[in-house]
Amino acid sequence: MKLAAALFALTLPCALAQDFTQRGYLETRWIGYPETAPGDSGQDVGEARLVYEATYKVSPHLRFAGSLDLRTDTHRQAERVWRLDWQDRSIQEPAFSVRRLSAAYTHSGWTVEMGKQFLRWGKTDLLTPTDRFAPSDFLRVVDNDFLAVTAARVTYERGANTWDAVYVPRFTPSRAPLLNQRWVVLPENLPPDLALVEGGARLPGGPQLGVRWNHVGRQVEGALCFYEGFNHLPVLDAELTSLVPLRVEITRRYAKLRMYGGDGAVPLPWFTVKAETGYFTSSDPLADDYVQYVVQLERNVGEWFFVGGYGGETIITKRTPLDFAPDRGLARAFLGRAGYTIDANRSVAVETAVRQNGNGLWLKAEYSQAFGQHWRATASFAVIRGDLADFLGQYRRNSHGMLVLRYSF
Amino acid sequence: MNKIAWLLQVVALLGAGLAAAQDPRQIMEEVQERAQAKSQRYEGTLQVIDRNGRTTEKRWEYDRLGSAGRSKAVLRFTAPAEVKGVALLVVNHPDRSSDQWMWTPALARDRRIALQDRSTRFFGTDFSFEDLEERDVDQFEFKLLGEEAIDGAACWRIESRPKQSKTSQYTRSVVWVRQDHYVFARLESYIADQVVRRLNYSQIENAQGIWSARRLEMTDLRRQSRTILRLEKLTYNLPLDEEAFTLQALRRLS
Repeated sequence: MKLAAALFALTLPCALAQDFTQRGYLETRWIGYPETAPGDSGQDVGEARLVYEATYKVSPHLRFAGSLDLRTDTHRQAERVWRLDWQDRSIQEPAFSVRRLSAAYTHSGWTVEMGKQFLRWGKTDLLTPTDRFAPSDFLRVVDNDFLAVTAARVTYERGANTWDAVYVPRFTPSRAPLLNQRWVVLPENLPPDLALVEGGARLPGGPQLGVRWNHVGRQVEGALCFYEGFNHLPVLDAELTSLVPLRVEITRRYAKLRMYGGDGAVPLPWFTVKAETGYFTSSDPLADDYVQYVVQLERNVGEWFFVGGYGGETIITKRTPLDFAPDRGLARAFLGRAGYTIDANRSVAVETAVRQNGNGLWLKAEYSQAFGQHWRATASFAVIRGDLADFLGQYRRNSHGMLVLRYSF
Repeated sequence: MNKIAWLLQVVALLGAGLAAAQDPRQIMEEVQERAQAKSQRYEGTLQVIDRNGRTTEKRWEYDRLGSAGRSKAVLRFTAPAEVKGVALLVVNHPDRSSDQWMWTPALARDRRIALQDRSTRFFGTDFSFEDLEERDVDQFEFKLLGEEAIDGAACWRIESRPKQSKTSQYTRSVVWVRQDHYVFARLESYIADQVVRRLNYSQIENAQGIWSARRLEMTDLRRQSRTILRLEKLTYNLPLDEEAFTLQALRRLS
C-alpha cells in the first residue's frame, strides 16, 4: 500500500506536468528621445517588465489560463504602489497585475470561456476597426500593448462556420497618455501659467455585448459582427476649475458606441487581399458617427513579407470636440510593413504610416537578433514628422530610438 | 490442382505482383497504404544549421488525425521560449492543397496562410509551409525513372508532378522509395530544372507496424542551410479528439 502511495505521489506530478505549460519573459527597455517635449524634459526612459503565463488542462474539456505582469520604469508611467491589480482600469500602468485569468470549457464544438481574457476580432493587421474588445495600453501611443477584458465568451464552431457571443459586464478602458508625459501634446499657444490637472476617468457602468459570425470558405473568408457598448478610447472633457491660478481639469469619459462591422480575406494569385470595415454610431452628444475601413494587401516571398494598404474614414456626424483616438488617428493614411528574415536568428523590419495629405509621417526601422535559446536584442528607431494639427504630426518631437533586451523562458 | 499447375499459378501471381510494383502509381499507393494510421503523435527536435555552421535548436509537438489527404494536423512549438505556443493547423484535402492557419499567442489571433505564401520558410526552419502538408497520391502524376540505392537500400526512383488541381511551388519532385518497406528514402523538389530542396529520410524503424523515418534532414540548396528533424516519442493510432483540430482548438492551445 505504501509502495502504491509512493508511486502515486511520484507519478502525479508527472501526470500534472504533462497538462501544465508555462512561459514568460523578462524585458528591459531603454528609450531615448533626441528632443525634449513641452511639459516633459526627460529624454531617457528605462522600463523593466516580467510577464509569466501558465495554462493547466484539468481534463480534455476544461482548461485554466493565467498570467501575471510585474513592471517598473524610470518615468513613473507605472505605479509605485505595491498592490495586485485585477481591473486594469488605472490611469498609470499597475506595478503588479493579473494580466489574464480564465477558465475555458469545450465540448461538441462549444467553447465557453469565463474570466479575464484576451479577445480579438478582425482580420486586418494595419488597423482593425472591428476589434472592439481589445483595449490597449497607449501610454506611448505608438508602442502599445493589448489589455485583457473580463468577459464571458461563448463560441460555437461547426464546419466552416463559427459563431461568437461576448458579454463584458465590466468596462476596461484603453490607457491614454499621462498629462505630465511627453505623449500628451499640448497646444503651443497655451498661457504659461495654465495648469492642466488630471481629473481621472468617469467609467461607464453598463455591460458590453458583441456577436460575430465567421465563415471560412474554400477561397474566401469573411465575418459579420455587431457590438453594443462603449468606446474604450476616451473623449476628453476640459473644465475650468480655477481662474487664479488658472487651472483646467481634464477628465476622460467613454462614450456609448454601437458598431456594425465586417471583415474578409481573399487570396489572389499574387496577394492576399484583406478588408475590414465598421460603421460606428453613438447616442452620446459628444461622440461622432463614422465609418472606418481598411484594405490591405499582403504577401510573403522567400524571406520577405509585405503588408501594405490604406485606412480610410468617413465622418457622418461630427460631434467630438476633443478626444484621444489613435485608431482614428491612423485613418486617412497609407500604412505598410515589410520585413526580411536574414537567418534563423536575425531579422529586420520597417513599418510606416503616411497621411494621405502628407501632413503626418511615422516610420520605424527595427533590427532584431536572438542569442541562444532565451535571449533576444532589438534595436529600433522611429521617426515622426508632420504638422501639429495632424494626429501623427503632433508627436513630431517624439521621434525616438529604442533598445530592448528580452529573456524568454 | 497438380503441383505444376500450382507452381505456374504462383509464378503468374509473382509476375503480376512484380509488374504492379513497377507501376509508379501503384508503388506510391502502396507507400500511402502502408503509412495509414488513425492518428500520429511525435515530439520533434529540430536543428537548423546555416551555411556558416551556426546551429539553432527548436522543438515542436505534432499531432495528426487521419492519414494523407484526409488528415488534419496541429503542430505546436515548445522551444525556443520566444516561440512557445505558436501553432499551425493543417487541414489536408484529397483533391487540393491543404488549408493552413497559424496561431501567434502574442497577437492572440490566427492567420490563414495563403497558397502563394506557402513557399516561405516555416519559422526559420528549412521546411516551407507546403512541406508540412500531407501529400495524397491522387494529386500527382508519376513516372518511374529507374532504380538506385540509398544508404545501401534498393529504391525505386519516381518522378511526381502536381496535377492542375494542386497548387505547388515545386514544378516536380523526385522521390526514392525503399523497395523493402515502401517508405521514402529521399525526396528532391525542383523549381523548373533546379533542385531547390532535398529531404533525406534515415533511421527507418518499425513503429507499431508502420515503417517510419525517425530522422529527416531537409537541405535548402539555394540557401545552403539544413534542418535536421528527429522524431521522438513517435506513436500511432492513439485516441485523438476531432475537436483538437479546429481553429478554436488553436486558440485554446495558447
